[in-house]
Amino acid sequence: MRCYIALMIVILVATLQPRDCVASDCLPPVSDRLMAPGTNEVPDFQKHVVPLLGRLGCNGRACHGSFQGRGGFRLSLFGYDFKMDHEALTAESSSGEESRVDLDLPGKSLVIAKPSQQIAHEGGRRFEAGGWEHELLERWIAAGAQGILRPRELRHLRIEPSEVVFGPDADPVEVRVVAIWQDGAQEDVTPLCRFRTNDDSVMTVDQDGVVASVGPGDTHLIAFYDNGVAAIPVIRSIARVAEAQNDPSDIPRTKIDQFIQEKLNKLGIKSSPVCTDAEFLRRVSIDLTGTLPTPHEVESFLADDSAGKRNRKIDELLQRPAYAAWWANKLCDYTGCNPTQQAELGQDTSVQWYMWIYQRLRENTPYNDLVARIVLATGRDEGQTYDEYAADVSAYFRDDSPADFSDRQTMPHYWTRRSMEEPDDKALAFAHSFLGIQMQCAQCHKHPFAPWTQDDFKQFSKFFEPIHFGVDSESDERYREMAKEVGLNVRGKNGSAIRNDVLKHAQAGGTIPWRELLIEERSEPAKLSLLRSGVVEIAPDEDPRRPIMDWMSEPSNPWFARAFVNRVWAGYFHVGIVDPPDELNPANPPSNPRLLNWLTDKFIENEYNIKWLHRQIVTSDAYQRSWKANASNQDDRRNFSRTVPRRIPAEVVYDALKQAVAATDQLQQVRSDLSRRAIGHLSMRLAGTYAMHVFGKPERAVNCDCERVNSPTLLQSVFMQNDPLVEQRLAESGWIRQISEAEQAGRPFVTEDFIRQAWLRTVNRPPTDTELSRAQQHVKKCESVGEGVQDLLWALINTKEFLLNH
Amino acid sequence: MSSSRIHLSRRQMLKIGVLGGGFSLGKFLQLQADGGKQDSERSAILVFLGGGPSHQDTFDLKPGAPDEYRGEFSPIATATPGIEICEHLPLLAQRSKKYSLIRGISHNLAAHSLGTSYLMTGNRPTPVVKYPLYGSVVSKEFPAANDLPSFVSIDRPVEGPGYLGPEYGPLSTGEKPRYGQPFRVRGITLGDGLTIGKYRSRQELLSDIDTAFDGYERLDDSVRGLDRFSKQAYQIISSPRARSAFDLTLESDQQIDRFGRHDFGQSLLLTSRLIEAGVRFVTVLLEGWDTHQDNFNTLGRELLPRLDQSLAALFDRLDQQGRLDSTSVLVTGEFGRTPKVNDRAGRDHWAQAMVALMAGGDVHGGQVIGATNDKAEGPVDEGFSPDDLAASFLQNIGIDPKTEYASNVGRPITVIRDGAPIDELFG
Repeated sequence: MRCYIALMIVILVATLQPRDCVASDCLPPVSDRLMAPGTNEVPDFQKHVVPLLGRLGCNGRACHGSFQGRGGFRLSLFGYDFKMDHEALTAESSSGEESRVDLDLPGKSLVIAKPSQQIAHEGGRRFEAGGWEHELLERWIAAGAQGILRPRELRHLRIEPSEVVFGPDADPVEVRVVAIWQDGAQEDVTPLCRFRTNDDSVMTVDQDGVVASVGPGDTHLIAFYDNGVAAIPVIRSIARVAEAQNDPSDIPRTKIDQFIQEKLNKLGIKSSPVCTDAEFLRRVSIDLTGTLPTPHEVESFLADDSAGKRNRKIDELLQRPAYAAWWANKLCDYTGCNPTQQAELGQDTSVQWYMWIYQRLRENTPYNDLVARIVLATGRDEGQTYDEYAADVSAYFRDDSPADFSDRQTMPHYWTRRSMEEPDDKALAFAHSFLGIQMQCAQCHKHPFAPWTQDDFKQFSKFFEPIHFGVDSESDERYREMAKEVGLNVRGKNGSAIRNDVLKHAQAGGTIPWRELLIEERSEPAKLSLLRSGVVEIAPDEDPRRPIMDWMSEPSNPWFARAFVNRVWAGYFHVGIVDPPDELNPANPPSNPRLLNWLTDKFIENEYNIKWLHRQIVTSDAYQRSWKANASNQDDRRNFSRTVPRRIPAEVVYDALKQAVAATDQLQQVRSDLSRRAIGHLSMRLAGTYAMHVFGKPERAVNCDCERVNSPTLLQSVFMQNDPLVEQRLAESGWIRQISEAEQAGRPFVTEDFIRQAWLRTVNRPPTDTELSRAQQHVKKCESVGEGVQDLLWALINTKEFLLNH
Repeated sequence: MSSSRIHLSRRQMLKIGVLGGGFSLGKFLQLQADGGKQDSERSAILVFLGGGPSHQDTFDLKPGAPDEYRGEFSPIATATPGIEICEHLPLLAQRSKKYSLIRGISHNLAAHSLGTSYLMTGNRPTPVVKYPLYGSVVSKEFPAANDLPSFVSIDRPVEGPGYLGPEYGPLSTGEKPRYGQPFRVRGITLGDGLTIGKYRSRQELLSDIDTAFDGYERLDDSVRGLDRFSKQAYQIISSPRARSAFDLTLESDQQIDRFGRHDFGQSLLLTSRLIEAGVRFVTVLLEGWDTHQDNFNTLGRELLPRLDQSLAALFDRLDQQGRLDSTSVLVTGEFGRTPKVNDRAGRDHWAQAMVALMAGGDVHGGQVIGATNDKAEGPVDEGFSPDDLAASFLQNIGIDPKTEYASNVGRPITVIRDGAPIDELFG
């Protein structure tokens, strides 16, 4: 295998290369050149004609880019299919009378007459007759309307200036876009670009690249040309800079805080102070372990006066099994562990999947190693016979001392899901799981925002063609024999799913025939482009996943480590540094590129140590800031100057309710028995239940992090206030029973203690005096203290303070 | 297409992470505060005949087919000359001018879960996109008033809100109403020993101690959302309107008898009450149509008489209340059944042909649209797809089936991508 990384596209870091286009090297814009007297320049199909059609909107979805075309004329959606577009332009028009491109009378061509509305055009006037656009098209036609054989490679697209910072006057700024081709040619392509703002409450941009300020804040200006995408930050400071600046003597405590403060200073935003100890403990317990702290834990943490207690708590939490349980759940989100999509025995295999990741997180397996053991998973170990393989897998299901699936070196279920049967589906899922990129659009056409073309996707998809789930021809005979013995009906060549009646043999200790993950031989070597990061040659018998994994393990890989770092970050804040976190593309730049670069580089330097990453983030002040906003940061939701409250995830709500009502002597067990926790094994069993639906637990059925929804809804409030499940929790509360028993037995107690406990159990802080007396007033009204405290628990779990992580 | 249009759709896509459907929670709250998009008075009812009802033994009989195909039932005339349906549907036969039958609907997903997914969303299921239920689309377009849920699914929900996100999921009652037994609606009925008085006193306590975010109520969508939804939930749970809508003891004996004292009758009676109260979309299930054996006894003695009685009563009630014009009704299963009767007097799964019934709204009643061949094997001509049926249903509710939403799969999605409304239905 030879891997050429030389072609690594560096569009991602486009904004980091502020190099002015030297006037002599750089062609002025085509709009000026063509209108200059005496020129005989012929516009180029790739460089000028197709980008012009894109900019005019001709190849958009509502116009000729529609898969049905418009008025009998269809262009490739968002361009870049030069062959198709050339054929469409030069074909006879649907009316057959006039030509779209008339070589004899170029000016009469429909592609000029219609968009300039010399002839009626449903799409309206796109340019003026006689303008430079007209001139461009007419000259191209007059010179023979040549297409291109092979697309030229765009090396780089650059916007100048490299950043727009609006001053107090907020005068509009005109930008310029330069295309740099692989052969070194440079051209000002401003009039041929499409422009976009990523936040129109901060800035707008017109089609000539004039950027106008709308309000304070920061966003990006994006320019599209050919298959290039470039972005620059656009910033307007909050007006009252002087009073909003962070105090210069306030030196950032960590590297993360330093990058954040640099950005905030540019914006004139003053950070909120760090939160209280109680807020910190609740927040970090939820985010790191998916679990609320116990009343005892809260009290001892608050009573601890020693320095460094927050960092010690973080270290302690990272050692708890619940840390591995909660983050295994998150990694199951990213990788798509879904009981209904498993090839067979959905509950069992998804729990195996979950437990396998759980075990890796317990061991703190480096992220690249963990992923490699999924990506390169095989059914059999090296040198194993089919019989040995079948016996091994059967042993996981034995009732009597089963073998532990999580001891396996590799985890093959990722590849064997029913939703992964087609190579295209594998490619989409893989790009999402491990690269944090969305390629769906490129499956059918040029991606409108990312640089991906349909060909990029096709080539990537081809890598996955040889991955199969079934029975290989050498083992088929043995497989069928075993199937016969256990009464498994086999249809077709690829074996059959194990049913429960067949599984019984394995549970009793026997061996049953399992299908396996196979890499089939290709008929010939393949030479494939790896997302334009290089061309890979794959021998017929080579595992195509190997070069992908090698490529991902390169420290210079632009996505692999970055996607994970960004997702982990998004798990601690309400947004990623790139957000949505699974849309790493140059049109969706990070809010703080230096921060993301630093964290990614250091993560790689620290050998993909996952706990290192968690620790870096949660020990920062940025993570520990209060949600209480000041005048300068109340509208900040992307620069981490304060905490943005977010609803606690579905599984955490479920477990927290159980914990809040548990009897005192069961509190520990309710927390530590992972097999009965929604963040633990029960996660699979609960998938798809009403409560999980209502609180937005993802089914993990689609390739999107957004499938998990953590925003409040009406049904959630109905659920918390009056669902039988919540009522049952309260009615069967072991703790309330304890109180009632004490009451009935006439044992002495202090009501105030119960009230304090109720607060500590739910919102994890002691009540204030006002709250205490209000609660006492309520309890007095009730027939018993037990009933009063039950009401109080009901009220507390319905507060915003309980449902939000704040 | 202008560049501003491109950026608009991109903005929507960026917001997907906030709330499925490319619609930020903040915007949603604003819209709700403005009273929602309540210019429409349309509502809809979906009766799902789960299991796959035999088309040729219900609304598409083939008396002329050979014995091994024909089955045991005879056709009877309806109020519309030339239209015949099964003899076990006499009340519906009398009311044939109220609805239209669509015969020759055809697809190829003869498995329950896939077929159900297809018919309940109007989109062929794929492993990578979860499509929303019609009710979810309707709750998004026409939310109900604040003290009512927009979308109620009696019993369990079939499928979910898909890419639109949990905001648009149904309130699922969790059980069917049973005559003579108290009916508990998940989330609405108060638990044992809990009275409205008790619930109110808990609420008072809650509002006094839920003060941590005082002064910051408008800070972020999550805070605003919880505040608003908590109040709305209280309105729904405590409001006389919602409580009475779910209370079947308020119905007269005469009405109860007309709908029937069985689960399905009570479910449709409840449906009427909910629609009358202002709920936008109600889903009702009548299951048991998966008749691999004993098809004729199951249909003739149980399912058809119930369907006949209750559906006829629903039409009468909608009509008397003057609501038939604003209430769109769709009755369908997930597929039809095999043309030949099997040796257990049953019929097996058959997706090449099925039948559906539509009524209300702009549907021009008393018609049969489409046809199957003489053995009920498949449509003559091209037939219709489930997508066409879905497009017709949504159009009848007042929603353009070509409406586009941002989705959670990285591209905008047309509500009903492939189908077109069946014009004859409305002619």
